[in-house]
Amino acid sequence: MENIYKPDPMEVLGVWQETGDVKRVRIRFRDPEKAKNFHFNVGQFGIYSVFGVGESVFNICCSNSHQTEYFEFCFRKVGRVTERMWDVEPGDTIGFRGPFGNSYPLKEWEGKDLVFVAGGIAMPPIRCVIQYCLENRDKYGKITIVYGARTVGDLVCKDELDEWAKYPNVDVLKTVDVAPADGVEWNGRVDFVPTVLKDSNVRGGNAVALVVGPPIMIKLSLPILSENGFSDDDIFTSLENRMKCGLGKCGRCNCGSVYVCKEGPVFTQAMIKNMPDDF
Amino acid sequence: MSQIITLEQLKSALDEKLSQGCRVAAPVLDGEFASFKEITKADQGSYEPRVAMQNSIKEFFFPKHETLFTFVRQGQDVVLTDAPDFEVDQIVVGARPCDAAALPVLDPLFGWDYQDRFFQQRRAKTTVVSFACVKSDAHCFCTAVGGSPENTSGSDALLFDLGDGSFEVRVLTDKGKALFEGKTTDSDKTGQSCDAPTVDFEVDKIADWIRANFASPLWEKISLRCVGCGACAFVCPTCHCFDMVDEGSYNKGKKVKNWDSCQEAMFTLHASGHNPRGTQGKRQRQRLSHKFVTYPDKFKFYLCTGCGSCSRSCGQMFGVRPTLEALDKEGVKAGQ
Repeated sequence: MENIYKPDPMEVLGVWQETGDVKRVRIRFRDPEKAKNFHFNVGQFGIYSVFGVGESVFNICCSNSHQTEYFEFCFRKVGRVTERMWDVEPGDTIGFRGPFGNSYPLKEWEGKDLVFVAGGIAMPPIRCVIQYCLENRDKYGKITIVYGARTVGDLVCKDELDEWAKYPNVDVLKTVDVAPADGVEWNGRVDFVPTVLKDSNVRGGNAVALVVGPPIMIKLSLPILSENGFSDDDIFTSLENRMKCGLGKCGRCNCGSVYVCKEGPVFTQAMIKNMPDDF
Repeated sequence: MSQIITLEQLKSALDEKLSQGCRVAAPVLDGEFASFKEITKADQGSYEPRVAMQNSIKEFFFPKHETLFTFVRQGQDVVLTDAPDFEVDQIVVGARPCDAAALPVLDPLFGWDYQDRFFQQRRAKTTVVSFACVKSDAHCFCTAVGGSPENTSGSDALLFDLGDGSFEVRVLTDKGKALFEGKTTDSDKTGQSCDAPTVDFEVDKIADWIRANFASPLWEKISLRCVGCGACAFVCPTCHCFDMVDEGSYNKGKKVKNWDSCQEAMFTLHASGHNPRGTQGKRQRQRLSHKFVTYPDKFKFYLCTGCGSCSRSCGQMFGVRPTLEALDKEGVKAGQ
């Protein structure tokens, strides 16, 4: 019988330092058969391990268009596992279990305008779907990306933001909380994400919004979306909770009767309103 | 017509199984305390129905500490070796009906979508022989969650102590039949269990209250005496939450699955420092909600067999029954 707790060894293909404490890692299966048959849906997550240290949970942060060749994740250096993950180099081996959880309903979103709202380290779970939608640009309406971080140095995927802005009918609104010091190049705004979202005049109706970020950013962004005509069924988020197994067994990621690892990580605002306040 | 087996015949049946390479676990006395342990001779066991046990039989299906795989680094590569399959036949004898009843409760969890072979292989290889209860104590409340002193759920055979050095054997499954076939003799004696423990609360009503009162201040109030030690989870036959930990060094080691408890503050602590269940009240709410709301929502069973081990083991005289009683009195019946 298969061992559901045993990860697959993955070769690290590339490592990019995104900010002072965030890196993006590109990996592929060491087993060519596994690589050939690998499939994930955009929005799913994985559990990544530094053998001998531990495991951490991160979204797969790229679209699935190269899934049999590679996929990527981002992490912030914040604990025991990520301190060691920081040192991995191309050619090294890390572990991967997954893909787990549900995904963004990209089929249902076809023909609609898309609004992506992200703060700080929450760009990776949104980057995957932005990449997907840009690769399938014809299927979606206007795309508005509102992304902010504390400082210019904290923006993840900063260079990609400018690339995305070159696509037709795509608005990239980037902002930082703190004005950059003299000499730091910055062509975005200095404001909080909800303020920039308000000024963007996005309209609900034939549109969906995906909001991922710190709780305070989400809390202040939701009323703006509601006022602009987004129903609770049209607002999506990707939750995270501490997990060990990712398989619905270890018993810690639940909010009430909802297991984030199995029924999530993607939820609509309507679903979240039905969950107890166990966040 | 009933089937009976004498204590000596039971022991020789177990010795025969041991000699065939079977693993046997039975209640073993240590002073006044009894706990389920693996034995190497049937004589090491103590075969009488007991109310209080120091542990449950779950560790023979879901060990406290279990290796999932080992790894060794070879240059930049890492070579993984899977933990061996569980291939030994196992007999757990002397289980309380409330211990055995936990097994069918746990089956859907470990077989939900992803199959946990570690639990499932042990389950398939194990024969459970339970003793019908001859007494209950103030901690027992099996009747409140659908059990009884002679509950057959999860057992392969149920033995009734006849008080004369013999047991009436009621075979329940093929595994039970395989163990006892040819070992019993016909008799007209039948065993009897004790009266069912009484409770004056209804779990369904408390579950409804829990569902409707997530934000009640009662949770913090009733949890003031809980010190978060987690003993209740470790003695519980149904508590199954676990941690996964790397052991060894960076170059060579293993991944293990360890028992965990939702009563410990670290259980849900995020790397960011945020903790969704940062107080003992929230953690008790999780424990009770998981047992009486979440688990039935998901798997149709209460995650509790009413064995009372949690409150018997609690240094603060807390546990599921006292909590249910407090919620019933101060929540359900007070109409709060």
